[in-house]
Amino acid sequence: MADVETDPTHPEPMANEEEPLISNLDLFLFTLIAGLVIYWFMSRKKPEPIPEFKKLDTPTATSTRETSFIEKMKKTGKNIIVFYGSQTGTAEEFANRLSKDAQRYGMKGMAADPEEYDMAELSRLSEIENSLAIFCMATYGEGDPTDNAQDFYDWLQENGEEDLSGVNFTVFGLGNKTYEHYNAMGAYVDKRLEELGAKRIFDLGMGDDDSNLEDDFVSWREQFWPAVCEHFGVEALGDDSSIRQYELKEHTDLNMNKVYTGEIGRIKSFENQKPPFDAKNPFLATVTVNRKLNKAGGRHLMHLELDITGSKIRYESGDHVAVFPTNDTALVIKLGQILGVDLDSVISLNNLDEESNKKHPFPCPTSYRTALTHYLDITHPPRTNVLYELAQYASDPKDQENMRKMASSSPEGKALYQSWVLDACRNILAILEDLPSLRPPMDHLCELLPRLQARYYSIASSSKIHPNSIHICAVVVEYETKTGRLHNGVATNWLKNKTVVNNGHKSTVPMYIRKSQFRLPFKSTNPVIMVGPGTGIAPFVGFIQERGWLKEQGKEVGETVMFFGCRHKNEDFIYQEELEEAKKKEVLTNLHVAFSRDQEQKVYVQHLMRNNKEDIWRLVHSQNAHIYICGDAKNMAKDVQVAFYEIAEELGGLTRTQATDYIKKLMTKGRYSQDVWS
Amino acid sequence: MEETQGAVNGEASEYEGSVDVLSPEDLSELLAAGTKEVHEKAENTQFVKDFLRGRIRKELFKLGAVALYYTYSAMEEEIERNKEHPYFAPLYFPQELHRRDALARDLEFFYGPGWQSAISCSPATQLYVDRIRRIGREDPVLLVAHAYTRYMGDLSGGQVLKKVAQRALKLPPTGEGLEFYQFDAVHSAKGFKQLYRSRMNELELDPETKQKIVAEAVRAFQFNMEVFDELDEIGKSIPEEAMDAGLPVHGAGGDISKCPYYAAKTAAGGGTEYACQVAMAVLRHPTGQVLFAAWVAVLAGLAAWYLM
Repeated sequence: MADVETDPTHPEPMANEEEPLISNLDLFLFTLIAGLVIYWFMSRKKPEPIPEFKKLDTPTATSTRETSFIEKMKKTGKNIIVFYGSQTGTAEEFANRLSKDAQRYGMKGMAADPEEYDMAELSRLSEIENSLAIFCMATYGEGDPTDNAQDFYDWLQENGEEDLSGVNFTVFGLGNKTYEHYNAMGAYVDKRLEELGAKRIFDLGMGDDDSNLEDDFVSWREQFWPAVCEHFGVEALGDDSSIRQYELKEHTDLNMNKVYTGEIGRIKSFENQKPPFDAKNPFLATVTVNRKLNKAGGRHLMHLELDITGSKIRYESGDHVAVFPTNDTALVIKLGQILGVDLDSVISLNNLDEESNKKHPFPCPTSYRTALTHYLDITHPPRTNVLYELAQYASDPKDQENMRKMASSSPEGKALYQSWVLDACRNILAILEDLPSLRPPMDHLCELLPRLQARYYSIASSSKIHPNSIHICAVVVEYETKTGRLHNGVATNWLKNKTVVNNGHKSTVPMYIRKSQFRLPFKSTNPVIMVGPGTGIAPFVGFIQERGWLKEQGKEVGETVMFFGCRHKNEDFIYQEELEEAKKKEVLTNLHVAFSRDQEQKVYVQHLMRNNKEDIWRLVHSQNAHIYICGDAKNMAKDVQVAFYEIAEELGGLTRTQATDYIKKLMTKGRYSQDVWS
Repeated sequence: MEETQGAVNGEASEYEGSVDVLSPEDLSELLAAGTKEVHEKAENTQFVKDFLRGRIRKELFKLGAVALYYTYSAMEEEIERNKEHPYFAPLYFPQELHRRDALARDLEFFYGPGWQSAISCSPATQLYVDRIRRIGREDPVLLVAHAYTRYMGDLSGGQVLKKVAQRALKLPPTGEGLEFYQFDAVHSAKGFKQLYRSRMNELELDPETKQKIVAEAVRAFQFNMEVFDELDEIGKSIPEEAMDAGLPVHGAGGDISKCPYYAAKTAAGGGTEYACQVAMAVLRHPTGQVLFAAWVAVLAGLAAWYLM
């Protein structure tokens, strides 16, 4: 053995010797096999630990799966059950989130797959105190239930005699507006449960996956829980009562270079401007023109021109310009005063959920002044969930009760909210003034207020003529509310005050372009019919400029017809000179203007359209004209559409249904476009 | 009034007589009608049905993205070539529609910075690409058919696929890996499709050419279905991704050296590097660790006995 030890590299002596019997190879194989045997042995004995799972509260291990959800709820002390009809897991995820939410309100929830339980037990829910069944139902395919909800759906359809009185329920539907049977399953469950006698304690929620399902869910859920608490007379628990999402951090000695002063994205992005410019990185355009458009009258219509030289920003007529407005300074100061806060304190609001992508509700660190001026919406009436969360800070119990009531889903509550908040246009300052006992901490308020949104305006210029300038046409919003307060539109007042030179400084507007699909036809020979009363004329100013430019280029330009409307010829006939010039140059083949208040009866654009029905029909039906509507969505756009129906009926010999189809077809084929706002 | 009577008494949507409302000569309508059948067929392929049900495996999704990359690269190159051509110019919307760069970013996310050498064009995709290149050079009007088939689809059902993929593959909510589905310059998919249709209808084409375009669109659908079928076949040979056992698969933004597929590719390259990676991967796995530890222990024990 000693020989072998000293001479391990010589295989021959090893091979010749009888002992030891094992070679290196044998040793290797043996140990490997032994290792495997040991591993197998070990893995049989020890169950693999599963660290991610929390210990579940299952007191008695049941060998057979419990198909009675009632029994399960009783055993585990749950009073809320969230059923989900889910195909790809979203509804299931929402159900899980809702069941977790319950504990914040002193209740216990569980999510449940309807396929795994006997849904016929629903009527037994009344056996459990303060019980509630929530349904997260996705619609699949042609208005169908998801696979796991098929049995439940069949049961609902077949059992007309079922008595579900004593069952409290609410439904959140997951759907997609691009499909014809939008949220059919959610709507059906909501309706059917009520028919069977169950009590709806909150309105059906409809989530649209085509726009933003998550947002829809979160908004619905924010109003849902206060309603539940109201219904059960339950209050949110002690520590969790404020359910703060963010934690306040006050900064004392911070380098001012690290503090946000109104930037949307990158800090100092307003000082060091770098293309490309977009929603997260707006361009500070200089205001080169800001003039009043109307000659008289109480309103203020304005025309602004923004210089985009050097920004590399390109646009086309019909696009929208987005601007980032700021709130009125006086309003911000008043808020600081009423809540007794030093507006210049530098703070951060940090998300308590470390997993979340959203670290702060708005760019932090920043001062309260900046947050209230640049980042938060302080002018719109607050939503019910804001009232609910702030209620705890009302020292007067009556105030507190009223605030919670307005956030509930009770008819009296909803009516109170409608009249006291919405109809009276009370913003947060008004609410604080009218409820003197309500004094929330500023940081919690900042967490609850929604973000200040960018505003969009249809561009009133053509890039062919004004490649470096973007024109805006807008009317300043200001009116008196029922409480006698003055309500000023945030962006329009802010724009109005963007005089060309302000205290020696040039005024700038943070902006970017949002491309639209509102476009002139590709072929200049295509006729166009434009209907744009009031500020709805904006994109058409650009269209007309462009058609004029094409003509100057020697191109053949088709008929260009404009229907405009305003109140008084001598007051608010905006762009009168430009329009009449275009008419003279035959860029505009036809200009029809309605002055609504210049005579006894109201005359609007649709009346003028009816007076020109033959021309319109000829252009639309035989000459492939493209129709464009811009302006007020609620009334004008609808009235104009009806006028088109009537023309199609009369001159096309169609029934109303056929006329409607005709116009709808034009819309699908991009020959009837709308740029309308409410 | 006669017409009105006739219209009322006649079939619901047939407007015979003086008012031909439907304009069935419009290319947009011809395309919609002409591809209806093949569209349904495509929706009903196993691959798509599984996808919509959330049954899509990451490896197949990635290979799908690769196929899309080659397809859109070819199509968008031919579109650039023909952007002034009267038969394509009205449909030239590079900012709004073009996908090549978005796909490149998605592939970088899935395959890492060396993605360009990690991917190759599959046979079915190559056939599709060859066709696109050919018509781009020889008969550009047919490019309309391919653009219509892909882009209109992306702006419709494509949006549904995005959400399905995000959940099924647990992709980050910040959108990496799914930029293909994100049309940042299109504010309203519905509005854009309407604009696109109006532009298609502005093309001055005779009825024969329109029919050719419809036929080419059907062909485009077929090319796509062959890619789906090819993916389905590949899917059958890829082993199921086991959840607990097996080598850890690199997750979103994870360590690509842990990816068995990447490892397999690098195995072709540097041998030692591959061996090291395999060894490291084995050692990272708890089972491997136990095995190794046991083996060392026994070896030490035997060595001790042997040396005594």
